Amino acid sequence: MSTAPRFEARGVARAFRGGAGVHGIDLDVAAGEIHALVGLNGAGKTTLMRLLLGMLRPDAGSVRVHGVDVDRADAATWARVGQLVEHPLAYAELTGRANLEVAARLHGLDRARAAAAVDRAIDEFDLGRYAGVRASRLSLGNRQRVGLAGALLHDPDAIVLDEPTNGLDPAGVIVLREALLRRAAAGAGVLVSSHHLDEVARVADRITVVNDGRVIGSLDPGGFDLERAFFALVHDDDEARRAAA
Amino acid sequence: MTGTGLRIAVAVEARKAVASRVMASTTALLVLGVGVLALGMLLAAASGDEQVLAKLGPLAGVPGWAGLVGVVLQITAAAGVLAFGVALSWMFGREFADGTVSALFGLPVSRAAIAIGKLTVYLAWSVTVAVALTAVVAIVGVAMGYGTTDAAGVWALARIPVLVVLSALIAVPAAWVATVGRGLLPGIAATVGIIVVAQVSALADVGVWVPFVAPALWAIAPGSVPVAALLTVPSVPLAFGALCALAWSRLQLDR
Repeated sequence: MSTAPRFEARGVARAFRGGAGVHGIDLDVAAGEIHALVGLNGAGKTTLMRLLLGMLRPDAGSVRVHGVDVDRADAATWARVGQLVEHPLAYAELTGRANLEVAARLHGLDRARAAAAVDRAIDEFDLGRYAGVRASRLSLGNRQRVGLAGALLHDPDAIVLDEPTNGLDPAGVIVLREALLRRAAAGAGVLVSSHHLDEVARVADRITVVNDGRVIGSLDPGGFDLERAFFALVHDDDEARRAAA
Repeated sequence: MTGTGLRIAVAVEARKAVASRVMASTTALLVLGVGVLALGMLLAAASGDEQVLAKLGPLAGVPGWAGLVGVVLQITAAAGVLAFGVALSWMFGREFADGTVSALFGLPVSRAAIAIGKLTVYLAWSVTVAVALTAVVAIVGVAMGYGTTDAAGVWALARIPVLVVLSALIAVPAAWVATVGRGLLPGIAATVGIIVVAQVSALADVGVWVPFVAPALWAIAPGSVPVAALLTVPSVPLAFGALCALAWSRLQLDR
């Protein structure tokens, strides 16, 4: 498996009216690492993830996936990517299994490989009880599980997950943690955003702090009192910007 | 866009359409609704209801299959476009309303292929609706006794699937508007706009060479619409299908 960075952003910027967005971010997601993004609501985490996945085009800077410019990435490049940003791929009219089958096909697996991958995903994310239930009748957490299983079932080696623990129960959080650790150990590069610093500390190799659309520092996943360190960084950044304004 | 990607997109969209209650209920409403309405109007006209006779206009006195098909076409020219436009608005707009559009990025299947996959499934579905409506009208006609009283006129039924498919083709802009407007309602508004333009122009007997108008005009007065005018209708789905593919391919989640 190649050791090229799974994702690279260089000076990437995208501004929205009112000043929100990201304003010149450099970020790497290396093979075999879980890289966590933390920041307050509106800090720019989701915008950055959208830029990495081609959901937004940058105003400035560049984004590469597997070393390929995101605008020019072909089917073979995208077949190695798995993502869940905001809404899971869980169509209300389809059952849990049918949604996973759809995800497998859209990720480029042929019918035979898709069937095996779906069985594995149902097993890995403990979805057996919900495989035959329409997504419209699933709880938020179980829809999220279906979405996560669908985003990871083709064993992508470049993964982006925005707030993946949203709605998950404690058992679901553990299932996800193990799924990510397993994939990172196999060489996948994982970018994950979260508000749960404890959870991030358990899985991340690197923690990058984003505030007001910029990277303002990093946290040591093994460090003591991450919450205090996080707020100190954010507070210092806010103060510095206020003083400069 | 690769052939494999398109094949996968068609298979996925077909699966969603078959499982969806929106598509099933739209089919049932259109096919049974038009059948029941046509039967009701014919029975009311036969009993001399003046309001219904006024609505039917020159069709009021037409006997047999031609009269029945004429009534069905008048209803379908408006109701068909509405049903097709609503279905298309749902197929495209729901991805934005449900948020599932974000899961359609970062895939080996391109978004242009997904848009064309949706339109392919939509057109196949419209053919199914055309066959079903024709079958229902045939049953109504046989029940009215036309099988024996007007056996030679049965060929008039052939106009039904033609109008149903033409109505489906002129509704395609709803898909583009639902994409650009990021939801169902803009698509439905576009559909209503298409119906108003088609019906008002047809009643005023203008616009025979306008693709949006020709089917409705042909439904009311087939003799006034040359075949070549009907052949312009596919330009609508071709142009707006291309716009849809482009809009999906250039899509950004910036709203």
